[in-house]
Amino acid sequence: MRALRIGVAGPVGTGKSSLVAAVCGALAAELELGVVTNDIYTDEDARFLRSTGVLPDDRIVAVQTGCCPHTAIRDDISENLEAAERLDAEHGPLDAIFVESGGDNLTATFSPALADVQIFVLDCAGGDDVPRKGGPGVARSDLLVINKTDLAPHVGADVERMLADSRAARGARPVLAVSLRAQDDVERLAGWVGAALASHRAGTLRSADPGPMAPHHHEHEHDGHRHSHPH
Amino acid sequence: MLDLLLADARTPTGGFAHSGGVEAAGLPLAQVRELVRGRLATVGLVDAAVAAAAARGEDADALEAAWAARTPAPPLRDAAARQGRALLRLADAAWPGALDGYRSRSPTTPRPVVLGLLGRRLGLDGGRVARVCLYDDAATALAAVPKLYAVDSVTVTAWLAGLAPLIDALAERAAAAATLPAPAAPLLDTRAVVHAADRRRLFIT
Repeated sequence: MRALRIGVAGPVGTGKSSLVAAVCGALAAELELGVVTNDIYTDEDARFLRSTGVLPDDRIVAVQTGCCPHTAIRDDISENLEAAERLDAEHGPLDAIFVESGGDNLTATFSPALADVQIFVLDCAGGDDVPRKGGPGVARSDLLVINKTDLAPHVGADVERMLADSRAARGARPVLAVSLRAQDDVERLAGWVGAALASHRAGTLRSADPGPMAPHHHEHEHDGHRHSHPH
Repeated sequence: MLDLLLADARTPTGGFAHSGGVEAAGLPLAQVRELVRGRLATVGLVDAAVAAAAARGEDADALEAAWAARTPAPPLRDAAARQGRALLRLADAAWPGALDGYRSRSPTTPRPVVLGLLGRRLGLDGGRVARVCLYDDAATALAAVPKLYAVDSVTVTAWLAGLAPLIDALAERAAAAATLPAPAAPLLDTRAVVHAADRRRLFIT
């Protein structure tokens, strides 16, 4: 079985890389993990993640997106898929691969052929009206994270309001308000990833696919040859 | 129609993340067109001749070796391999089974060979495949220009239109070549190697 691929999207500066680093740090002892980053102009995110020391350097690879971070995770996933498959082939079998998008706008979401599940990351410091503004990531990502709750009192952000607006947009889909400085919060994120991995292994994982209308795909092994087909 | 599909930038085979050496060259805008003409006459011609030969049914393994010998920069070989695999993924979805035998055999899957084999399977002759290959080479490089320079996209597309006679002539030459041409473009190769190690780049190549 190939690795579970977890897409992590959200606007610039909301803490996607820090979240990936924290969750990898919490899970690296029990799981084999890899990370694909999509920096817009540098390999800054990949270097940051390597500098945290949570994973071996070669488990973290950067993909260049030619100014099109949005395209690279949804419309033409060639390079990201290649990077993820290569990680799995060279270091595998891996349990999970995080695909971190380049910081983009509220409409950036992953192709179902690239990410099995998607985490969308917002933060308190980016404005507490963002959940109300909505968009596919806010409304239909598999997990919405409201990050940097520790900053809320300092920037006048109302976390309860952000949670209420998120729940109104998302219905029963989960929202976690977290501070990555709090180990309990990191454990909650790691717990969600662990549950997604268990569903993936059991074959019961179904992403909400927060993008525009798209056919549902799922991957399965067939005669040792990998297909994906719409159904 | 299928040659149009293969040449279309919206066809998802990863071309948007490449600049054909435009970013690595860092030339003044006024010289970029010459760079693209230079590409077409060298690496473009090699790729097109390899694609045309594959479309004619020549031995794919021998073509891969010949192509690799004419493509000395490792980052360019690697990029072509990844784009070749992206094209195979498209083939899986659109024409299941078409290239299964090739895929299981080839460790390197360079895009020109995959393009030629796919063209053959789709009934495109060598000239047509060579033209797609050359057009894609120029269009990929020029599509990166408005992202790297302050220039209107229609201006750049007009430059591409102006390359039509050159692309048609080179396609004819590529398809008619009895032996594979081997023009060198050492600056493109050396810049590609330097570019691959550059930590502040927008494009893969």
